[in-house]
Amino acid sequence: MSAVATPGALDDRALAELAQVLGSEHLITTKPARMHRARVPAPFPVHRWADHLPDAVVLPGSTEEVAEVVRIANRFRIPVVPRAGGTGLTDGAVPLRHGILLDLKRLDRIHEIDLENRTCTVGAGVNMLKLNEVLARHGLIYPDDPASYPCSLVGGRIGTSGWSLIGSRYGHTRDLVLSFIHVLPTGDVVRFGDGGGPKVSKSSTGYTLKPLFMGHQGTLGVATEATLKLYPKPEAELSPFWAFEDYDTAHRALRELAWADCATFAGAVLFDEHKVAYLRRDDEAYIPQPENVRALVCAVLYGNEDEVRPGGKRLMRIARENGARYLGDEISQGDWAARHDRYATPLHGRTKAGQVVPMSWHCEDAAINWTELAAVRREWHAIVARLRERSDVFDDWGMFAYTSARTGVDYLTEIDVGIWEQELDDESWAMWIEAKRDIAAVAVAHGGSISACHGACREGEVDVVPDELGGAYDVMKSLKRTLDPLNVMNPGKYGLDGSFEEDLK
Amino acid sequence: MKPFRAGEQKTPPPPQQMSDVAIMRFEHIFEVDPKLMTEHVRQQDFPNWDTQRIAASRHDHLEWMHAHWATVVVSGEELADD
Repeated sequence: MSAVATPGALDDRALAELAQVLGSEHLITTKPARMHRARVPAPFPVHRWADHLPDAVVLPGSTEEVAEVVRIANRFRIPVVPRAGGTGLTDGAVPLRHGILLDLKRLDRIHEIDLENRTCTVGAGVNMLKLNEVLARHGLIYPDDPASYPCSLVGGRIGTSGWSLIGSRYGHTRDLVLSFIHVLPTGDVVRFGDGGGPKVSKSSTGYTLKPLFMGHQGTLGVATEATLKLYPKPEAELSPFWAFEDYDTAHRALRELAWADCATFAGAVLFDEHKVAYLRRDDEAYIPQPENVRALVCAVLYGNEDEVRPGGKRLMRIARENGARYLGDEISQGDWAARHDRYATPLHGRTKAGQVVPMSWHCEDAAINWTELAAVRREWHAIVARLRERSDVFDDWGMFAYTSARTGVDYLTEIDVGIWEQELDDESWAMWIEAKRDIAAVAVAHGGSISACHGACREGEVDVVPDELGGAYDVMKSLKRTLDPLNVMNPGKYGLDGSFEEDLK
Repeated sequence: MKPFRAGEQKTPPPPQQMSDVAIMRFEHIFEVDPKLMTEHVRQQDFPNWDTQRIAASRHDHLEWMHAHWATVVVSGEELADD
């Protein structure tokens, strides 16, 4: 037997043990079930689909069943890849070494709603939209709001340490998850939170371990149950969208809006000229906009109505003083509502000749300081322009910059690239990987981080992670080796196979 | 009320050119200019009622999303006029 997990280790004996733990109906080896769980919505090398097929899919129904699957994987040295909604954009849920695909969707129970402490405890397979339908009956909300809000699951949000559209008001997943039950790579079960109490938001007892077990993309185990912080459902929402005649004016206005420090301010978004051009092509709200609309900013406020109204009035004044033209309620309200659900957008791009082609959406994200946004934008568009020059497989869909924090210090900065998946081959895929590497390098060169939201473990970008983290990357490798000595959990991700070089020889 | 005639549903109103790349046949419903959908992707034939149903469903969905997140949607136009 190999010293560490390897492809091909899932044999009949292991399958029999898994069936005994889960029941045969929750152990699936059919090809369609495995193919559906081989990829995520981000562009995928469809010509190399077979490289990413899991050998089996398991659907455990409890923390103990998850732990038992991981223990079996350790005994047989089988790779395990956890998967919640499968909506991540950095391939965390995409197997690199085949093995067992651990699908968390059956962990879909709401275990407790604690109205006195305003918390709830849910399985990792619970979706935020469905949870909020239940919480609304109590006047409460769990405000974790990714672009995949209707389809992503709590477990995936923990595994990726997700970013929320309205995080400037309510915090991001790391702030909203109070604690969680976690199956370690060895199959041991522990709770991570602030201190030991499951509903504590600030503790100074012991090491602060919770953040370490968030955002690891399944390389350090699996969260199975989480206790979440709840807020009152907002009385009021305001989401003004403004037009600008140039990017630089919009960029300055973005900062002024964040600096206004309105208590109900939940976020702001900057759309650059390429994004406006893309929307003018295909979006009903922007097709009729005049040519002098070259950049956009939106802001959003949530809270009590008697606080949202004066805050909104202040932002409207600041925007106007900074060269903005209000786009009206219809566009503002319609576009904001659509932002909670960007995965539902039907996608197509254009060849250089202008013909419509079916394309997948790739969102390449980074954390960038306000002062660096303009330079990063120029360099990123130049990278994508070189791609498009070489091939019609790629289309530049423009950039957004979203506030990550209410002071406006840094922004989730994304460039959206359409990719014509059916036309991908090894040559165009290699071009894409090179571009991803270059995009990540620009973010690091400007003092940012490769990812604010998705994670950074995809081909291309992952090569730049050691440059970004420096000595901290060596600590990551040591932790991986210590916590997952058989390299069972999501092997190959984040270049962490480097911790097991001797064992893999 | 105008009676429903199945045959009429197959004839969309004449297009109005809205930009270099978009046309409009029904108010506020834009379509890619058909000349851009000839090589790789073909336009599908929709009965008129279905085109309008899809657009109306989208609006229903957006309304639902507002109500899901907050009780009241504040008008920016009102605040701008104050």
